[in-house]
Amino acid sequence: MQEVVGCESTVSRGNIFLVIYCCLLLCFVCVGCGGSKSVQQTPPSELTASAEARKEPLPVTEPRPLDPFDVPKLSDLDKEASWIDRTVRDGLVLLRDSQSKEKELGPVESALAISNNSPESNDLILSALGRLPADGEADYSARIDRHVGGDLGSTNPIMISTSAEFDILGLTGFGLFSFGRDLEPFATSETVRTWQTSTDRMLDKVVLRDDLVWSDGQPITAHDIAFTFKVIMDPRVPVPAVRSGTDQLRWVEAYDDQTLVFFHKEALATNVWNINFPVLPKHIYEKTWEDDPTLKDSAEHVQLEQSPVCGGPYEIVERKRGQQIVLRRRKNWSSVQGKQVRERPYFEEVRFRIIEDPNTTLLALKKGEIHEMILQPEQWTTQTVGRDFYERNTKATAPEWVSFHFGWNIETIFFRDRRVRRAMSYAFDHDEMLEELCYSLYDPCAGIFYPGAWMASTKKLDPYKQDLDKAEALLDEAGWIDRDNDGVRDKEIDGRIVPFEFSIIVNQQPLRIAICTLLKENLDQIGIRLNVRPVESTVLQDLTLNRKFQAYLGGWGSGTDPDTSENLWKTGAMRNFCNYSNPEVDRLYAEGRQEFDRSKRAEKYGRIQEILYDDQPYTWLYWRNSFYGFSKDVRGYVFSPRGPYHYSPGFGSLWKPQQE
Amino acid sequence: MSQEKIRVTEEIDAAKPSRGFWSDAWQRYRRRPIGMLALGFVLFLTIVALFAPAIAGTKPVICSYKGDLYFPCLGYFNRSWESPIFTKDKFRGTYPKNLKQKDPESWAVWPLVFQDPYRRVRENEWPGRRENPSRDEGHPNRLNLFGTDQYGVDIFAKMVHGTTIALLVGFVSMGLAGSIGVLVGALGGYFGGWVDMITSRLTEIVMCIPTLVLILALIAVVEKPTIWKTMAIIGATGWTGIARLTRAEFLRLRQTEFVMAARATGAGSLRIMFRHILPNALAPVLVPITFGIASAILIEGSLSFLGFGPPPPTASWGSVLNSARSNLQLWWLVVFPGVGIFLTVLAYNLVGEGLQEATDPRLREAKK
Repeated sequence: MQEVVGCESTVSRGNIFLVIYCCLLLCFVCVGCGGSKSVQQTPPSELTASAEARKEPLPVTEPRPLDPFDVPKLSDLDKEASWIDRTVRDGLVLLRDSQSKEKELGPVESALAISNNSPESNDLILSALGRLPADGEADYSARIDRHVGGDLGSTNPIMISTSAEFDILGLTGFGLFSFGRDLEPFATSETVRTWQTSTDRMLDKVVLRDDLVWSDGQPITAHDIAFTFKVIMDPRVPVPAVRSGTDQLRWVEAYDDQTLVFFHKEALATNVWNINFPVLPKHIYEKTWEDDPTLKDSAEHVQLEQSPVCGGPYEIVERKRGQQIVLRRRKNWSSVQGKQVRERPYFEEVRFRIIEDPNTTLLALKKGEIHEMILQPEQWTTQTVGRDFYERNTKATAPEWVSFHFGWNIETIFFRDRRVRRAMSYAFDHDEMLEELCYSLYDPCAGIFYPGAWMASTKKLDPYKQDLDKAEALLDEAGWIDRDNDGVRDKEIDGRIVPFEFSIIVNQQPLRIAICTLLKENLDQIGIRLNVRPVESTVLQDLTLNRKFQAYLGGWGSGTDPDTSENLWKTGAMRNFCNYSNPEVDRLYAEGRQEFDRSKRAEKYGRIQEILYDDQPYTWLYWRNSFYGFSKDVRGYVFSPRGPYHYSPGFGSLWKPQQE
Repeated sequence: MSQEKIRVTEEIDAAKPSRGFWSDAWQRYRRRPIGMLALGFVLFLTIVALFAPAIAGTKPVICSYKGDLYFPCLGYFNRSWESPIFTKDKFRGTYPKNLKQKDPESWAVWPLVFQDPYRRVRENEWPGRRENPSRDEGHPNRLNLFGTDQYGVDIFAKMVHGTTIALLVGFVSMGLAGSIGVLVGALGGYFGGWVDMITSRLTEIVMCIPTLVLILALIAVVEKPTIWKTMAIIGATGWTGIARLTRAEFLRLRQTEFVMAARATGAGSLRIMFRHILPNALAPVLVPITFGIASAILIEGSLSFLGFGPPPPTASWGSVLNSARSNLQLWWLVVFPGVGIFLTVLAYNLVGEGLQEATDPRLREAKK
């Protein structure tokens, strides 16, 4: 659930040569679970590293076939285990409750009339336009045109990996669990009747509702979920992302059509996330998957790819590659045999328009061809202030837990020494970056957790400020001195004089390149030569995964649980690109997972943050907030730390008012 | 006495050989005003490129510091040509303040325009001077003649320093292409037979290689992509036209009497090829080289425009155009580099056309 965000999408992209990977880039950060109110999945570790890993599966730990499991009888389980009831909720109801307690800051008309140019106006817009509809206010036959930055790699829910896929499959996929704006997990009442966990936390028992059907009319049962677990865990199936987490489960057993038990390997605080994975229709795939474990090559799978059988509130009715994907609300989702059993989603049709270039996207928004989009800092500040924008649209911003950093490869001779890494952080002109390059829109970042979040350290960790004197003193101390008098610092290593000259790899995006260029300017002043090397995002991904770099600029989206950052910092972890290793951090992660008391967990993660702050394996740069443009017809957007869509209800809370 | 002298001079005059091919061509070229104008523009660009650090920069052209003379502006050409004394001792490469502060006796001659092509000039960097505007506020003004880009870097400085790249790309890549092309064409045309067979097929194969795709691949693979490698690729793939022309000329000329005469006197193949045939074959070859320079400049421009140009923060015209893509309202990011590229390419094409007409006897006849 940690994602690399390399792509702060940008400013200029999209031209014929870049097309190939543009689609990757633009998909943007937002990891996550797309957002109908009912179906929410925690995004499994998604590597968006500056582009989403689209085709290649993430090299997760070698998958092994499942060991056979001696399934105990349900009656025996019930006898032995004592069950605790867990929360089953409706995300939309939750949101309505919390909104009823909030104070309304003003009427809709005044929010629509103002420009968003101050925190107050932003608050008013969020408060007035973010509200859910009163009875009869919403237009249930409305259509919304959404923007995605790249095409889908696959419509198969277990192949989910990029944020575009999370956006779309979140609406068409079936799921049992979700989490709210506060990132608290729950089972969703639209699909689940009861959810219980055993006191030893080794078992989770879920009873499904019996009024669920796939889009082809077949019932959705517990067997679908048990079947999907087996498919995901089969090493022959190239599952890019969802296997991590799911592989912490020992077994999933369907005792009857509704009753399902998840068996865990260990009692972990993260088990509640591990039981959340996408679901395939068993009656479709059980006949075909053994013959074609890739799930996309055989004729049947190609056909399914084009028109998949969906279990969520929407189904895919049209898919034009590279252009658009049209979803329509499923009748048999909300009503079964003529009886309404669930609330209808607000939109009858959701049309995803695929546009890669941010400028083209903004033009489309201004013309009313799309109804929402993510705005770049430059667009927010300079291109969405005039009448041409406010005529049809408005915009809103909120904090988002996405941070960017320079990563220093600790295995290189330059960055082995902590003093050198700190010198880098002191050398960089953070203020110039925040104010000039980032238009003062982003907040400074000092560590891995968002300040004020429950897992963040309570100590005051100040973001680094430029201090060239300190940087030079640290470098001198670490032995990097210009001995041969050529203007470049050097150090004798194994009898060889090594000049302090290194490269930083970065995505082909103007803002990122400008940040690296600023670092180059700063380092040049203290006698260090930096080569800025912009690379294609897939190359960046490859180089970082294989640790073939000296420094890089990248970003991470935040997972729902702090434990998801373990794969960034644990010794030898997959995405520990910088080769950071600290036994204390490893231990704290392991302890944090086994601890169930939130305040005690928070202490452990806070300690990790402090250690990392001292060690500076990254130079943290900024938190990238959410910036969205919305059509004035659209209401109900509410931002979470993961943006406006990727939680429950997320997209499910958006609606359009009735036209008079 | 004096009469004799006059006679001698007359004799010398009479003995003066008729104008050679090249001076003849030059005479003809000089009569074309547009061609001369274009040539003048190319010369002007060359001067700008050579003196770029003295035209726009933040490092003194020449300065006296602690009793020694330095030329810090050379650091713009090569970082190591700037004396290390200016990075030590907390000098940190900021000249205006530190020179006076650390050595009150020092003096300096500054570039015409105090702006840097690689970074934003900050407040009070030059005493009493405001900082460069950034975002969308960088309209052309007194201090930023051509405006600034979104990050506050001066466009005039970028354009001036970018001239070096624009010219280098043309000369280096076409120099390389010319050498390869002439060599391959000469071998094929002179020897004929299986040699010709091999060189012709080689030419055809290279013709099929798309330059842009090759460069993109190179950028992905090479550890430190530089503008030189880009030039090398443009050169290594752009020689095919030159080779074919050279081959045709050699095929024609090797049958001529003077070549036979040379062979009869026992001249070796290499001598005949390069001493006797090549000078006579050069005229038609020069023309595609000139056009090649223009197209190389365009290739570099489009590469930088796509973001595959020389590594940042190298200033190049194409990269300025690239920064305009995100916000087309900043017209100065489009107009100045656009006009620069347009004029340069036009100038080279006019020079090429002039050369063609000045050297091609048929066109010469037609003109009369």
